[in-house]
Amino acid sequence: MKLSPLSLLVALLALAFTLATGLARRADNWSNRAKSDNVFGMLFGDGRKLFANHFFTMADVYFHSGYYPSVFDQGAAEQKEIIAASHGKKETEEDEKNENFLGKPKDWIDAFGRNFRITQHTHLEHQNEREMLPWLRLAADLDPQKIETYTVGAYFLREHLGRLEQAEAFLREGLRNNPDSCEILFELGRIFNDVHHDYDRARNVWQLGVRKFSTLPEQRQKDDKFVYEEFVVSLSHLERDAGNYALAIDWLRKAQKVSPVPGALQEQIDALQEKITSATPAKP
Amino acid sequence: MNKIFAVAGVVIKELYRRKDFYVLFVLTAVLTLAAGAVNFFHDEKIIRYVKDLCLLLIWVSALLVAIITTARQIPAEREARTIFPLLAKPVSRAQVIAGKFLGCWLATGVALFIFYFFFAIITGSREHIWPVGVYLEAAWMQWAMLAIVIAMVLLGSIYFAAPSSTNVISFIVVAGILLVGGHLNAIALSQPEPMQTVLAWVYFVIPHLEWYDLRDFVVYDLGTVPARAVALATLYAAVWTGIFLLLAWFGFRRKNLTT
Amino acid sequence: MNVILKTEKLRVEYRNRDFRQQSKVALVGLDLEVHAGEIFGFLGPNGAGKTTTMNVLLGFVPPTSGAASLFGIDVRQPIARQRIGYLPELTYYYKFLTAEELLRFYAKIFGLTRAETDKRIAQLLKLVELEHAAKRPIKGYSKGMQQRVGIAQSLINNPDLLILDEPTSGLDPLGRMKVREIIQRLKDEGKTVFFSSHELGEVEAICDHVAIVHEGQLKATGTVAEISAGHTNLEQSFLKIVGYQTTLVP
Repeated sequence: MKLSPLSLLVALLALAFTLATGLARRADNWSNRAKSDNVFGMLFGDGRKLFANHFFTMADVYFHSGYYPSVFDQGAAEQKEIIAASHGKKETEEDEKNENFLGKPKDWIDAFGRNFRITQHTHLEHQNEREMLPWLRLAADLDPQKIETYTVGAYFLREHLGRLEQAEAFLREGLRNNPDSCEILFELGRIFNDVHHDYDRARNVWQLGVRKFSTLPEQRQKDDKFVYEEFVVSLSHLERDAGNYALAIDWLRKAQKVSPVPGALQEQIDALQEKITSATPAKP
Repeated sequence: MNKIFAVAGVVIKELYRRKDFYVLFVLTAVLTLAAGAVNFFHDEKIIRYVKDLCLLLIWVSALLVAIITTARQIPAEREARTIFPLLAKPVSRAQVIAGKFLGCWLATGVALFIFYFFFAIITGSREHIWPVGVYLEAAWMQWAMLAIVIAMVLLGSIYFAAPSSTNVISFIVVAGILLVGGHLNAIALSQPEPMQTVLAWVYFVIPHLEWYDLRDFVVYDLGTVPARAVALATLYAAVWTGIFLLLAWFGFRRKNLTT
Repeated sequence: MNVILKTEKLRVEYRNRDFRQQSKVALVGLDLEVHAGEIFGFLGPNGAGKTTTMNVLLGFVPPTSGAASLFGIDVRQPIARQRIGYLPELTYYYKFLTAEELLRFYAKIFGLTRAETDKRIAQLLKLVELEHAAKRPIKGYSKGMQQRVGIAQSLINNPDLLILDEPTSGLDPLGRMKVREIIQRLKDEGKTVFFSSHELGEVEAICDHVAIVHEGQLKATGTVAEISAGHTNLEQSFLKIVGYQTTLVP
């Protein structure tokens, strides 16, 4: 049988079309990539998480204006936690600034090379913290399940840049992507409590957080007890400020179970007990 | 010296008549402008990521221009046999090597100047500051580094007949030095003998190209590096360039070009 | 007459990259002398050593032993090539340059002043009839035009000795005639021309002196009349010298 090139081309096109229609449904099951809800997911698949981690680190690099250890530098691992530590832990900032991952020059090449490296440990300030935002935005787009991105981003937006609405919106976005995240619920509650002074919503969000925490696996609960402590201590402060001393004591007693300083909490409980006693009229 | 400049002139003409540079420049410009147009949290003052990206593209583009342009010089002359009418003139092989080096270096310098000019315009329009000294210093250091790279690639092109192999090997060597060159001493310490000694030797023997990367100083607005350090780094670059050019000449002067 | 091109016991061996194989001997003790004002035809069958001789004279290949000089200067010195022009067999020029740029480049190599360069370029472009295409890149030229650019570049320094490698190969009859005219004009100007060729008729017509090499050795040298003596023409003489036996039945 003699087949002309044109009929061969038509036959191949028809075969390709038939295969495509037949395989389309199956192909959907081969990979989640095509079903991804964003363009990064489609392009990189799960590899986007690596990029997200890199961009999150880039935000940290920017926060330190390039003073950042490479993978070859001593103490790199400790430094990676800087951003996480910097939120809500201002007391460690000075200590951190005194750390010097570079150490003494090892030889003349190292010593001379430092002329061309950033050797001053500084943090962004005076609204320049905004320069970190693109990396955090990209990290969130690439890995919407990376919770630190939202909490850190919201922290800088709220505390350093004074952009409360954007901080709240960023956290809400994080919550949509991670509905079970206790960390995001806690940060959201802080915005309601500290910024909007909407104590009822703050209470609701933190209580929701406590409930979510209680559904976590036991090991996760052990690992993340710091978050739980933050919830219950914050709730106790909220109730204390609202005059609900008994409720505040209840929350503090829960906090005592996980706190590394139960004694300090006991002092707070005692102070609250005293207030309850003094507020109660003496029985005739 | 006129003969060296004459050979260099042909290299420069070749660069601006080829498409490589224009493609890279347009790519850099488009990517930078696209990155600059992205809106992050409705903040128009954010600029450092644009500077970072643009400088990264400038570094990659300049390295591409330098390596690709240099790697093809001698092999292309041999392949097209243009080397014969040239060497039939009263020009020594040392002058050809020097001319090729100078041409490639000046050509990449022109490319670098155009790239940095674009960079200054982009950042200046956003930040409304013009730290010309910082930019000039960064560009000068990058150009000094490219002198070492060009001399090294020229040396490679004498021994590897195909420009593609010279390109690949040069890229690996340059990228390797830029990424880990400065850390080899630290890596050596964590290695068992004899690897420790080998790496320590490599650390002291390689040209330290990573010194010439001042992008962080530009991106984070940290001012200039001390002039003395820049002068010493320039001297270091000149010494390494001289070493590579001499080695290239040793290889080229007795080379039988007819085979 | 002055000797301006000379080789003495010139020997060239090409070392084989494979050490198990023997090196190839391209020239064996070649002695040549070319005098000022001569048109010297350098003949030989393919692989005889003509190109190797030219490569040594132009400094492309170092001699294994023996000596070669131009104007009394060792060919290994670049200055030995200050007063020569070279036309390669094929068109080996930077195709991205225009004819004018190419000539200007070579003029710079020879150290010509700007005024001299301008004047010389105008003369040469007129000579090779390329004035109209002077500002076009060479890559757009026809083969004949490229060959004419080659002739122009070989004359940019107004050389006293012109070395031509198969100057008419691949040219049409008009092109060949043009090259012959140029060679004749150079002779009239007192220049020396050293050229290799397979075109024995052409050699016979324009050469004063001829050398025939075969298997790396000089087999004969002398005037055309001396070499052709006892034969009907130069071709017959050449065939006899290189030991060619015809297999055709008369």
